[in-house]
Amino acid sequence: METSEKQFVEASEAHYGRWNPNSVLGGVFSILAVSFLFYVIPRYIEMPFSMQHPLLSPQFLPQLAGWLVFVLSALLMVDGLINPPKRGEPEELRRGVPVMRQVLMLAAGIVYAFFFEQLGAIGSGIFACVLLFLASGLRSIWLYALTIIFPVVVTLLFIYLLNVPLPVGTLWESFFQI
Amino acid sequence: MENFSEVMALFLSVDNFLAIAVGVIVGVVVGAIPGLTATMAVALALPFTFSMEPVTAILLLVGIYKGGMYGGSITAILIRTPGSPASACTLLDGYPMAQQGKAKKALKTALYSSVVADMISNVALIFFASYLAKIALNFGPPEYFWLICFSLTIIVSVSGDSVIKGLIGASLGIIVSTVGLDAVYGTQRLTFDDYNLMDRVSFIPLLIGLFAIPEVIEFYTSKVAPHIRTAVSGASLTWKEFKGLLKTIVRGSLIGVIIGAIPGTGATSAAFISYSEAKRTSPRKANFGKGEIEGVAAAESGNNGVAGATLIPLLSLGIPGDVITAIILGAFMIHGLTPGPVLFQENLTLVYALFCGIMVSSFVLVFVGNAAIRYFSIIADIPKTILLPIVLMFCIYGAYAVNNSTFDIGLMLVFGIMGFIFNRTGIAAAPFLIGFILGPMFEDNLRRTILISKGDLSIFVRGPITWVFILLTVASLLFAIRRYWMSRKEAMA
Repeated sequence: METSEKQFVEASEAHYGRWNPNSVLGGVFSILAVSFLFYVIPRYIEMPFSMQHPLLSPQFLPQLAGWLVFVLSALLMVDGLINPPKRGEPEELRRGVPVMRQVLMLAAGIVYAFFFEQLGAIGSGIFACVLLFLASGLRSIWLYALTIIFPVVVTLLFIYLLNVPLPVGTLWESFFQI
Repeated sequence: MENFSEVMALFLSVDNFLAIAVGVIVGVVVGAIPGLTATMAVALALPFTFSMEPVTAILLLVGIYKGGMYGGSITAILIRTPGSPASACTLLDGYPMAQQGKAKKALKTALYSSVVADMISNVALIFFASYLAKIALNFGPPEYFWLICFSLTIIVSVSGDSVIKGLIGASLGIIVSTVGLDAVYGTQRLTFDDYNLMDRVSFIPLLIGLFAIPEVIEFYTSKVAPHIRTAVSGASLTWKEFKGLLKTIVRGSLIGVIIGAIPGTGATSAAFISYSEAKRTSPRKANFGKGEIEGVAAAESGNNGVAGATLIPLLSLGIPGDVITAIILGAFMIHGLTPGPVLFQENLTLVYALFCGIMVSSFVLVFVGNAAIRYFSIIADIPKTILLPIVLMFCIYGAYAVNNSTFDIGLMLVFGIMGFIFNRTGIAAAPFLIGFILGPMFEDNLRRTILISKGDLSIFVRGPITWVFILLTVASLLFAIRRYWMSRKEAMA
């Protein structure tokens, strides 16, 4: 292979094509900015009955920021189309990650987001920690003792040392009432 | 004399000393763990400060900040992984020193350079903050409006690789800051009729979401990197060697102070400028980059000289100099205090008690830093597989603690996912935070100016102070445009 040809192949491997993260991101943000400016602002920002000056309008700053996002996104898209960015090294680390690892992390997030009050701080903490330990493939049974120790210690720290009340868990409350 | 006794009464409490010690320890430990940042630690510590006195709370956060600045250099020296961007310069000579079996000497140099620089920076803070605050007392809403415009230009320097992406992030931050009831008319803005959003988006869930959650998500969506074990070995730093480095350390500290006092310039540039200045003037310039002890001292004094100085614009003008001071600004607000000239008028005792605490934190850093060097392997060898579930737990409990509401947990997770997308797409989270904090200040001062002038826009150019800030803003924008073109040129090359 000729040297110039080799360089071209190497360069194309190092750079993205026209549909690269920058052009896609610019495109997505442009669409979001337009919908924000022409749908969200008129619908979800209430205007007062009278105003002394247009710059005092509650819509002024969101509109200014919305237009900024639109213009900058368009610029980013054009920039991405003209100068595709280089591929980064971290992408290698992101390939071939077991799906189960990500599913378990998601499950831990769901436990905290939707069952925090039902399971309580300690219950959801233990459950989420077990899921995350499993996601990391920890095998030692002794390490799993930490999934109980940590939530209990941290919860007690919050409640008694910092005076921050954390939920006991509606599920356990009703269970013990029965 | 009466003021002095009031300051001492406020400062000399066990809680304050404990807060400083805990803060510095947490900062050093977090900074020493690769992948965890001082910003994350400050964000996570914020919910813990709710029940504390304002001085204790701020000192805890400042302690973490200072500890984190030094902690970041430990990993830079030992495993070539800077704990913070500011420590990137330290590894240039620190890591080669460690490879030559002089890890202990490099770590001690980094510690003592950090402490000396920190003290010089603190003295600068004490002298200049009150002076600047006195000048700022002459500022009215138009002057503040332009000052905030100038401060918004710091976004450029915290934008990371792409200025455009940084500005998009800042604009998004401004949009999020407008959520809630309008301050003048009381009408709803972007609340989607949800009462949880009527009182603005809570600061702490946003903060934890942006700076801690993405690290957790990133870890579980990437391959597990092998855990690197470390060792601290070799001879320590001698007094003679330290004396020989003093000139470099003082010069680096002064560079750090000057750069730190300018909002947005940051510790990273201070470290590199100090390093290049030391290299330029050193008789051993050929040894720089190959394990030169002076290189470590220059880099560390440069980046730690910034720590106290970034508090100058924060305390005197209410303007955050970098991301961590932006979080500390949030802490002030949570405790019902507004940094700026009024703080010096109404809470002078508190300000001086803070100064005392900040000075003490430098001495604490000496002890904690020395212990960290000795027990470093224990600190750094905690695997992330165990550490991150605990970090997530702290995030969740911290977010819930704000209003005892699961809505805030959801909000935090949403901002966490947003931060993760930002990470993956190269948008820095710092501009988003700066936009979120400065957006309401911008709007507030704009509206006040228009209200006092009854709509006459000439008030925006009413005097020399406004012109100074206009010129600074324009100069800063021109610098941003220049930086953008340079980065484009580099990308094309």
